[in-house]
Parts: sequence; C-alpha cells; structure tokens
Amino acid sequence: MPRSGYADFAARLHRIREDDLGQFAPVLASLLVIWAFFGVTEPAFLTPRNFHFLLMQSAVVATLAAGVTVVLLIGDIDLSIAAVAGVGAAILAVLITNVGAPAWIAVAAALAAGVVLGFAQGWVIACIGIPSFVVTLAGLLGFQGLMLKILGIHGALNMRDPMIRGLTTVGVPEWLGWLLAFAIILAAALVLVRINRQRSRRGLERMETGPLLARIALFAALVLAAVATLNAYRGVPLLMLILGAVLALLWWVTVATPFGRRLFAIGGNPESARRVGIPVKRMRIAAFTLVGLMAAFGGIIGASRYASVSFNAFAGGPLLLEAIGAAVIGGTSLFGGRGSVWNAVLGALVIGSLGNGLDLSGASAADKLMVSGAILLLAVAFDAATRGGRAAPR
Amino acid sequence: MEHERRSRSGAAGAGAAAHLRAEGIVKSFGAVRALRGAHLEVRRGEVMGLVGDNGAGKSTLMKIISGVELPDGGRLLLEGREIHVRTPHAATGLGIQTVFQDLALCENLDVTANLFLGHEQTAGGWAGCLPPSLRPLRGLDMEEQSRDAVAKLNVRTLTSVRTRVGALSGGQRQAVAIARAVRAASTVVLLDEPTAALGVAQTAQMLDVVRQLRENRHAVIYVSHNLRDVFAVCDRITVLRHGARVGVWETEAATPDEIVVAITRGGDGDETAADAA
Repeated sequence: MPRSGYADFAARLHRIREDDLGQFAPVLASLLVIWAFFGVTEPAFLTPRNFHFLLMQSAVVATLAAGVTVVLLIGDIDLSIAAVAGVGAAILAVLITNVGAPAWIAVAAALAAGVVLGFAQGWVIACIGIPSFVVTLAGLLGFQGLMLKILGIHGALNMRDPMIRGLTTVGVPEWLGWLLAFAIILAAALVLVRINRQRSRRGLERMETGPLLARIALFAALVLAAVATLNAYRGVPLLMLILGAVLALLWWVTVATPFGRRLFAIGGNPESARRVGIPVKRMRIAAFTLVGLMAAFGGIIGASRYASVSFNAFAGGPLLLEAIGAAVIGGTSLFGGRGSVWNAVLGALVIGSLGNGLDLSGASAADKLMVSGAILLLAVAFDAATRGGRAAPR
Repeated sequence: MEHERRSRSGAAGAGAAAHLRAEGIVKSFGAVRALRGAHLEVRRGEVMGLVGDNGAGKSTLMKIISGVELPDGGRLLLEGREIHVRTPHAATGLGIQTVFQDLALCENLDVTANLFLGHEQTAGGWAGCLPPSLRPLRGLDMEEQSRDAVAKLNVRTLTSVRTRVGALSGGQRQAVAIARAVRAASTVVLLDEPTAALGVAQTAQMLDVVRQLRENRHAVIYVSHNLRDVFAVCDRITVLRHGARVGVWETEAATPDEIVVAITRGGDGDETAADAA
C-alpha cells in the first residue's frame, strides 16, 4: 500500500525519536540553529559574557520546567508552578527582610511551603478526582493571592542577604571549574564503559565501541566548551553546580528507580499501571509534591537572581508559560509517558536564547511573543507527528 | 444441583484435585444478575476452556477471580483453602495472574520494563536505607531475566527486550503479556480472548505458548469465543449460560456441536435450569 508523504515523514521522525540520543536531537538542533542565527546577526551574542547571562537567565525557567516534567510524565499538568515559586520567594523574602531570620531557615521554610502546596494540590487531584488542569488553575489564582498577601502592601521586597545573593553572584575559581569538569567527564565515561562491559559479559545487547566513544567525546566536548567559556568571564557560577546536582538527582530518580519507572507507566497507560498494582493515587500526590518542591527551589533562585521579590517577576509574569513551553519544546510529551529532565533544561535554553538574542537585536516585546508562540507550536506539532508515527507500525 | 458431565465424558475429574475452584459465585450490577451461582475449577497442568455467549458472565467471572470485581456471594478456593481476592494486587500475591484482552501493557516502555512493571527489582546493600521505591533499579538483572522469559515462550520474532512495546506486533505483545503473567511465581494464569486480535500464524504461535504453560504445570483458564482454538488447546471445557455453569466437558469426548448447543440452549437439567426453578 503506498503511504502518504506525511505518514512516511512521520514514520521517519518516529525512527529518529527511538534512539536514546534521538530524543535530544530536535531540541539540540533548534538550539544550534538559534545560536548560529544570532551568532551571525548579533556580534555580542556568542561572547563569554552573554553566555554567562544566558545561563543565569534560563536557570529559573529550567528549574520549573524540570519540575513540571515530573507531572507531564504522568499525563497531568501543573499550572501553579510559577505561583508556588512566587509564594516560596515571598516567604523567603519576608522571613529574611522583615523577620530577620537566618537564610537557611528561610530557605527551609520556602521549600517546605512548596512541598505543602504541591501535596495539597496532588491530594485534591488524586483523592477527589478533579482534573489536574482545573485544580492547578485554581491553585494558580489562589497562590497568586497568597503571594500578594505574604508580600504585604508593598508588593515588592528587596533581597540583600549575602548568602541568598551569593547563590547567583558567586563563581567558583577557574581551577575548581576545570577540576569538576574533568571529574564529571571521567565519572560519566567510567559508568558508561562499566555498564557496557557488564552487558557484554552477560550476553546482553551492547553499544558498539565507536558510538560509545563518540558519545563520551561529545559529552566531554560540551562540558569542556561550557567551562572554558564561563571561565573566560566570571568562572563557573555556583548556581550552575547546585542546579546541576539537583537536576542530576531528579533525573536519576525519574529514570533509575521504581518511582520513576512508575511515572512513565502511569503516563503510558494509567489503567495498566493500576492493574499491575502501582499505587496510582499516591504516585500522583508524590509527583505534585515533587513539583511543589522544585517550584519553591526555582523561587529561591529567582529571588537571588533578581535581588528582589515582586509579584510580576513570578506569579504575575510569563514564567509559568515559559516553563511549560520549555518542557514541551524540549521534547516532553503533553500526553504523558515521554520526556526527561534534560529535555526540559535544553528547552529552557531554547527559550532563554530566543529571548536573549531578540533582546540584543532590539526586537520588540511583540516580536518576542510571536516568535516564542511559533516555536512552541512547532514543538507541539512535532510531538503530535511523532505520536502518529508511533501508531503507524501496528 | 451440581451436574458435571462425568458420565458422558468418561474419567473427567478423576485423580488430581482442583487447584483453583470457584463455587457458587453471585454477582449483580444493579438490576442485572451477571452471575447466578457460577462454578469453575482448574487443575495444575491443565488448560480449562471457559466458553459462553456474550453476556453469559465469562468476563465477570474472570474479573472476580483476578480481583478486579468483588463477588456478592460464593467463594474461591485455592488448593482447598478459601481465599479472598479483594484487589488485583492480592490476586498477584496469591499467584493468580490475568492477561486481559487489552493486555494492559505500557506502549511507551520497553519489554523488560513491562515484564517487571509494579514488581521492579532493586539493589540491596547501601540502598537498603532508601525507601523501596527510590532504590536503584537492577536494570541488567531484569533485562537478563526477561530475555530468558521471552526465550522460554519461543517467540522467535521478538529479538530484543529493549524494544518499546509500542513497536511490537499484536502477537508479540500478547507474548509479552503472557511472559509477564508467568514471570511472577504464578500458578494460575487467566487468558482472556488471547487470539482475538491475531492472524493465523500468530494464533498458532499463541496456542503453542499456551501449551508451554501446561507443560510448566500452570493452571490455565482460557476464555474464548473461538471454539476451534478452544478445542485445539483445552483439556476440559466449561460452558457458562445466563450466569451459571451448564456443565463441564472433556475435550476429547466432546464435539463442537455439543458445545454450541450447550452455549445457545443450555443442557437438560443443568444448573441454569435448577437455578431458574
């Protein structure tokens, strides 16, 4: 039977997506295109200084996007992440500025607030059985109000605590950056080689030496290039190390533990998950709690980066849509069952690069919004096309 | 009331005792009486066919045995001891595994992940201090076991257990679902219309898989509309009609016509008639 051009195209896209590197290919490609474009048109774009700012600008979005990936995996959505981040940041600011609490207590309180809000929403969604879209929409409105209430009549608080500010202003020394880079590359290479050796000893499918070395080389090149660029300006920001560690932990939990496996199972087929005995309700509550925690963490990063906490920077601004857009542009499916924390980070870099590049080229806010919309639409269309491809071979 | 066709079928029921037995199962959905005191039994190393017209209560009985529905009355016995199957998880714990018609596989996960879904193996040692669901998966161990499990079912076309289930054919998916059912320490396997979605060659392959289960001393309950498959693979056949058992036939001593008559018109003096009286 002759296949239509579209079906053929979709099947080819589908095959690309099957590969483990393939799930990063679309977002990496769009990132490269954006960088190449602005690299040519804007001389200031591909400079160490701009790269530093690009990473810092994308940090909050990346944190929220990685968090929301957890609920996207189970096929739910959380529209309250930016508002929860705002509540966390507001609690942090009020405790430090108005109450005079030590920074670590304020941080703990902000994270705890995120956990409580996430848990509460998860409980309502799982146990009362209201769609997550509605519950978190209510959360979005309610927590916006809560943030305003906590901030009080001023509507904005300055953040001068040296420890909180240091999170985004301190860079590690040049030598430490290199040392960590080599340590990470070495560890990753050792783990990959060891797994491959175990696979061949057990007679399981293993990766050929060529592709294996190519992967390690690609990873090493990316890490070393990033460190070299960052060292040419202010050194690797402390935030990058903390965020990298948190995201690596979150990634590990989603891919290498029963918890993560079950997130994917619920997203793929909730009825099957229930029948094999996965506690779907508890899993959903846990997922929303985790998102609340990540959102509060994003709020703390934001408070540190903006040196102030205001309604518009968090709950009232474009943060929510940028975070969900980043996750989807990165390749995480809105339909559940597919995605990864690193995809969300790459998606956040795409959104950050677009904003940064358009700012440099003096584009208006209108242009920025329209380009972002087009990119998001492309990403979702791609998601839908590859889903169609998945059904085709049946 | 019990009226097994032993006289007609020779030595049926002699020797081995039933491994799983359902006695007088009653189940209503509102005003609809789906089961009106249904009986069913299966021995180890036996394939028991369960046939009946639409609405005869086959799937309700399956759901009760697999813990998806709770019965209103009657009891389930495993090796002569009464069991209470309140959840699918409880059924699994008792060694009762069900392969539903929709297979209940996650298409976005690979074969290994599906085989171990809900019962993932995790590392011990230092990980013992973590909560069970956050311990690292023993991915390679599970992959090795699932490769062996799939190999045991003789599914030649399934070459890699790292393939996503969404990319498999209908027969391969069926095999994965059955491999999952027998991977656990199960003694009873319920198969719901396993060949309904399969082509001719795949059906033959599936029937081989079912025979393999009998060789491995599983007690298999095989629900199907397709009498040809039932006669090809089952040792005995239970016929349900209007929520009760018409009778049990030895496959070797029965003819398809006999079974069709039992399905459509019931038997003389059978449980249905007794119940209606």
